[in-house]
Amino acid sequence: MDILVEISSSVQKGDQDSIQAQVQTALDEGLAPLEILNNGLIAGMDVVGEKFKNKEIFIPNVLIAARAMNRAMEVLKPRLAETGAKPAGKYVIGTVLGDHHDIGKNLVRMMLQGKGFEVVDLGINVPPQRFVEAITGDTDIVGMSALLSTTRPLMKDTIDAIQAAGLRDRVKVMVGGGAITEAYAKEIGADGYGSDAILSAELALRLVGQKGEV
Amino acid sequence: MNGRERILTALEVREPDRVPLYIHGINEKPIIWIARTLTDDLPEEKEIYEMNDTEQVQLLNALFLLHEEYGVDGFTCFEIGDTVNIDETHIRDPFNVVYERSPVGIPVATEHPIHDMDDLKKYQPPKPAEEHLLLLNLARDRFKDTKAIFWMMRGSFVRSWRLCGMENLMFKMFDDPQFVHDLAKKVLEFNLASMEQVHAAGADVLIVEDDIADKNMTLVSTEQFLEFINPYNRVLVEEAHRKGMKVMRHSDGNLWNIMDILLDTGYDGLNPLEPQADMGLKKVKSYCGDRLCLIGNIDCIELLPSGTPEEVDQAVKQAIMDAGQGGGLVISSSNSLHPGTKPENCIAMFKAVEKYGKYPLQDVKTGS
Repeated sequence: MDILVEISSSVQKGDQDSIQAQVQTALDEGLAPLEILNNGLIAGMDVVGEKFKNKEIFIPNVLIAARAMNRAMEVLKPRLAETGAKPAGKYVIGTVLGDHHDIGKNLVRMMLQGKGFEVVDLGINVPPQRFVEAITGDTDIVGMSALLSTTRPLMKDTIDAIQAAGLRDRVKVMVGGGAITEAYAKEIGADGYGSDAILSAELALRLVGQKGEV
Repeated sequence: MNGRERILTALEVREPDRVPLYIHGINEKPIIWIARTLTDDLPEEKEIYEMNDTEQVQLLNALFLLHEEYGVDGFTCFEIGDTVNIDETHIRDPFNVVYERSPVGIPVATEHPIHDMDDLKKYQPPKPAEEHLLLLNLARDRFKDTKAIFWMMRGSFVRSWRLCGMENLMFKMFDDPQFVHDLAKKVLEFNLASMEQVHAAGADVLIVEDDIADKNMTLVSTEQFLEFINPYNRVLVEEAHRKGMKVMRHSDGNLWNIMDILLDTGYDGLNPLEPQADMGLKKVKSYCGDRLCLIGNIDCIELLPSGTPEEVDQAVKQAIMDAGQGGGLVISSSNSLHPGTKPENCIAMFKAVEKYGKYPLQDVKTGS
């Protein structure tokens, strides 16, 4: 079997035991690190994301797929750095202040990584100012999650804080989570609303205008 | 009929004298806001852990009062006094799980005592303590069988993930299935012992509180639910039924892929039926409304926080039209009455049940 197909398959199965050796084999065969990333790992995560979107697989399958991808990246990342390859984009993500729910946010992070994004995960209960401070020159998108309708006003507060810091024109803002609707996203001036993890990752790609290319 | 009879009749999917009304969960601020229409003897708005003993008694009295005056037919009880303060923001429960307090919701588990099989082998679940039944005892004494007493018991999935972390639990379903089973058995051991106590103390309805879904789908696959979670919750249902209690299953989210399993497990009621999670009353009633009492569905994400009392009134009327015929409907919000909800909308929900909920329901159909 083609080694890239094997790598993609290992991501889909969440086979963390085999995947590092497979990536090493691919490198030894002379494949470019970027090709291994795009046509092996990201190709595998694309299948995982599609199946998740279609409700064919569930969160635990996504978790083990993301774990396998992370194991592969331990081998691949240094080699990617040597080639100067850029990520699909840089995404700062967190659950807003007062909200301690992280599973939805973590799924979005995994799907973003599966699309080749560099993700800065600020965790849960993140104050507006911490989002602002995490924005660097190469940040493309800030993403906020809120499960509770009581915490969603913090999304607007965070957008206001980004605006006040003079950074609103430099980054796109996405929101999502159980308490959020598309109408609410528009109301608070977000650039995008992710109704689930895979749609969020796809939207993020559109927002940075790279359509999956790295 | 009194409230207890009303709820128990609805849980048997029969028609009581009117559609019952129930509050599954409610935060401190909504209790105070709603009770302001009934009494001045109220604490300042703050979290219960910030209140002194007098204020806590005021809050509890306010909670009882609003159930009595607004015709709420069931009362939810849970353990109180079972946690210890670690610092200003963290508490520890008897299972040795650490939680961070949240000013806008329930505390969130942040540290878990079990990570792997070695931890699990050494772990002993706590013994349920009689003194933690205080709320149940107070409610039973106050309402004297006029309201159905519900007891909230964390189910297999929620208690397990709090003990070992959710992502860890999900990884273990692949890496170490025996760990997941052994953990669930320890949770079950506690729950069965707890059920003995709450039954003896007079609870009418066991709530198997086991959130297993988000608004799109279940958190685990149907197969994982069947293998790792439902067998242990099924034991709770069967034991509660042996004791003569009814059982309400609580889970947020979209439950369609496990609905047949829930029906087969023998639950009497299902809550909270979130409209945003495709759990609309018309659809659920049509699918299984002759086998399962439907409890909830009045939208607490958009309607109760942002709607008007007139809109709430119409939503309750619609809910009764959609699912009231034949019984098996209890009006309640689609999750807790949280601090984002408007008190006037909560009160509109209560009043609309009295207005439209009387059986027979012909008046609702004509809109009068």
